[in-house]
Amino acid sequence: MLEDSGYTGVVIGEAVDTFGGAKGEDKARAFEVYGYAFMASRAP
Amino acid sequence: MPDDLLVDPEALRSQVRDKYREVAVDPHAAFHFHTGRALAARLGYEGTAVDALPERAVESFAGVGNPFSLRRLTPGERVVDVGSGAGFDSFIAAGQVGAGGQVVGVDMTPEMLAKSRDTAKALGLGQLEFREGLAEQMPVEDGWADVVISNGVINLCADKRAVFTEIRRVLRPGGRVQFADIANGRPVPPEALRDIDLWTG
Repeated sequence: MLEDSGYTGVVIGEAVDTFGGAKGEDKARAFEVYGYAFMASRAP
Repeated sequence: MPDDLLVDPEALRSQVRDKYREVAVDPHAAFHFHTGRALAARLGYEGTAVDALPERAVESFAGVGNPFSLRRLTPGERVVDVGSGAGFDSFIAAGQVGAGGQVVGVDMTPEMLAKSRDTAKALGLGQLEFREGLAEQMPVEDGWADVVISNGVINLCADKRAVFTEIRRVLRPGGRVQFADIANGRPVPPEALRDIDLWTG
């Protein structure tokens, strides 16, 4: 979606266990939900 | 509501405001997500930068990742923080860009805006301001920003393509978007995707 929206050079960071130990952990585990950092540049 | 959206954008905004109003005024309540300093440590924020902030700047932090982990901001840069909440990432950004940079936080929840503005005033950060607005319609001029940051916000927007288009509008050509958000490795059932209660809970 980023590239379709006019961005280039998309970089995605390592997965982070955002919900580990929180009340929402079970739901996160069920759908393998993790946090990620994303970076991209606006195409000229 | 456009046919290609899973939920009504305004109904979702209403639920998001309710949830994050609670995070602003009662940050130590039991949420389905972590908050505050423990969350910042879990997500890999620089301890010295977080330790330097007062409790009210950190306690309502509810991000899902670290938008500064792939690249630290550069002194002098102009930054927009989409969905700035109580201001935690904006305060970190203000420290990285320094007095010669500028940071504009945009949020739609009045209680979050009040908290972030009070904290910014107490910290005396002249390079930082908070504006009321939506991720899809930000009160920022075309091409103003060198960098747009966001943390755990885009997943709570019904029309993600509209958000990315708006971010592109406020970025200068060649500017960068650095955001953190959640992604699922297993497919979510279609009926769950259309259940608005599951978006914020």
